[in-house]
Amino acid sequence: MTEETIVGLLVSILEFGTLLYLAALGETIAEKSGVLNLGVEGMMAIGGMSAYWMAIESGSPWTALFFAAAATALFSLVHGFLSVVIGADQVVSGLALTILGLGLAAFLGQDLVLQPPGAEFSPLTFGPLTDISWIGPTIFAMSPVSWLAIFLGVATWFVLSRTRVGLSLRAVGESAATADAAGTRVVATRLTSIAIGGALAGMGGGFLTLVLAPGWNEGAVGGLGWIAVALVIFGAWKPGRVLLGALLFGGLLALGPRLQTFRCQEGQEGACLSFDVNPILVSMLPYLLTIVVLILLSIRSRNRPSLAPAAIGQAYRREER
Amino acid sequence: MFNLRLTRREAPIRGGQVLAFTVGLIGALALGAILLMVDGHNPIDIYKKMADSAFGSPQAWSTTLTQAVPLGLAGLAVAVAGSMGLWNIGAEGQIIAGAIAGTWVARLGPDLPGPALITLMLLASVVGGGFLALGPALARAHLGVNEIITTLMLNEIAIRIVRYLVNGPWKDPTAVGFPVAPELPEQSALPILFERANIGVLIAAFVLLAFGFFASRSKWGYELRVAGSSAQAAEYVGISLRTKILTVLVLSGAIAGLAGGIRLGTSSRIVEGIAEGWGFAGIIVAALALMRPSGVAAVAVAFGALRVGTVAIKGEGVPASIADILQALVLIGALTAGVFTTYRLTRSTTSKEVATT
Repeated sequence: MTEETIVGLLVSILEFGTLLYLAALGETIAEKSGVLNLGVEGMMAIGGMSAYWMAIESGSPWTALFFAAAATALFSLVHGFLSVVIGADQVVSGLALTILGLGLAAFLGQDLVLQPPGAEFSPLTFGPLTDISWIGPTIFAMSPVSWLAIFLGVATWFVLSRTRVGLSLRAVGESAATADAAGTRVVATRLTSIAIGGALAGMGGGFLTLVLAPGWNEGAVGGLGWIAVALVIFGAWKPGRVLLGALLFGGLLALGPRLQTFRCQEGQEGACLSFDVNPILVSMLPYLLTIVVLILLSIRSRNRPSLAPAAIGQAYRREER
Repeated sequence: MFNLRLTRREAPIRGGQVLAFTVGLIGALALGAILLMVDGHNPIDIYKKMADSAFGSPQAWSTTLTQAVPLGLAGLAVAVAGSMGLWNIGAEGQIIAGAIAGTWVARLGPDLPGPALITLMLLASVVGGGFLALGPALARAHLGVNEIITTLMLNEIAIRIVRYLVNGPWKDPTAVGFPVAPELPEQSALPILFERANIGVLIAAFVLLAFGFFASRSKWGYELRVAGSSAQAAEYVGISLRTKILTVLVLSGAIAGLAGGIRLGTSSRIVEGIAEGWGFAGIIVAALALMRPSGVAAVAVAFGALRVGTVAIKGEGVPASIADILQALVLIGALTAGVFTTYRLTRSTTSKEVATT
């Protein structure tokens, strides 16, 4: 294993981590307000497709990224309308969003499949910091979107746990009726949370098609959205822990396809793999880990209150108070 | 804001869900027509062609029913769990697990006579699907772990297991293009019923009828409904919630697994995309059917036709994704219309309320 391969791995971890974090952060916000959104997979497809299209149209990666965020926020309101406004089951509505999103992205993006990318982000310049070994070519060379993701994570943490707005949002997620009685506008809060979640998932999708794997095809998202849903539980609905989870799961995703390069060469000794590990089997680990964590969490919460927002999954209608 | 509000009707409109489904279908076709026009097609021609290919001849019917089988079984799998208030989001993975188990049996006994091999393959697929649901069932029954997420995660795991198998141990060395497993022995194909439909249609119909019967006529079905409506009531009358959760979720997985087995007996080999999104579509089917077996059958045939129609218009340059879009739109339309079968829109009386309270 050379320094070069390790740096390559770290760069890839940061990229997968960014993608997962954006989407999972959005899902965290929605779930904190009491709305489970299983539409992440579809929202990422919409975001990825629309970002790729806008990058070609405008030539600007930032325009593309924010266009994807706006388009996906709008799209996510389908879930908002169904689950919040008319009170449909959140599971059904979220899955409908995934199926619709995957279908629409495939349909609308059919002409984008063979097109070359229209724009790419240029990395931020940190002058001499970029020359520091290890962190220079990784952290100080990462995509500006990764910095944006970190900023959004801190902002989310701050708003959720330190402001009045965050308090009302959490109150709506814990008990909509109580929050309503206290004067919080439940429907508006939930719709806003869903839209912000959609915007972040759309950015995640845009990051995928603009940075991580430039290009668009209908299988592009390939289960990453489900990992984002899993991450929220893994991170116990806390922006900081979700970040750690995103880096861990991102690590697993980055490691899989690289395992072959870590295989021992003839006569090589030291830090290398002496046996074959199938990358496909490694790609199962995020999902398996989530199941394990869910089980551990539920054993833990037998004696303690659950970490999940209490009103998650429940539609709220005022007359049923 | 709009001065309008929803108030609950004293009783839901009779046949309201049929109405809601019809409204959803019409709305979806209308929105789909706009998409098709934007894409440069004549929607009327396209829809005509779709309807013709799905219902225009006995052969068309046979393909529609063939597509309806996995949709109906996946829908039933979701509905079985749903009748107790549980969510099995894992039908997609369970279909794969069923197909894997069936393939495994066929590889063990390639020389068995047809009837024996088919029976064993279908049984294996039932066990395979049930096995994949066993983990979430145990976790839910004994630890209270949310079955939505566990079954969802197992989908992705099952997809990767079959990807691993067809890329590695089960890879057909002679196949070119995307990796597939070798064709199963000839006698493993399900006997033909008419035209292109095989006995999978009968099996699925039987399973749907059987569940419909047991759910509405047996003590077991009654207990299921009690447990679904109130856990406390169930415990009070001595129904073991744990056993119910366990049996219902495993049964749900087994039914989805059977769909995988039938697909195997129809398509003759396992490929990575063996489940084709049927498991997810099954959730839509069950939701539209309000978890009732009779509704599941009807919606499955309608969606089967949609899928057949989509394949038929591929030649016109309409992408296959239109099927998923239309299915999702039908659900969205029906959910929206469904609100008005249980609620009515009334002018807001907020000012009066404020005055009296």
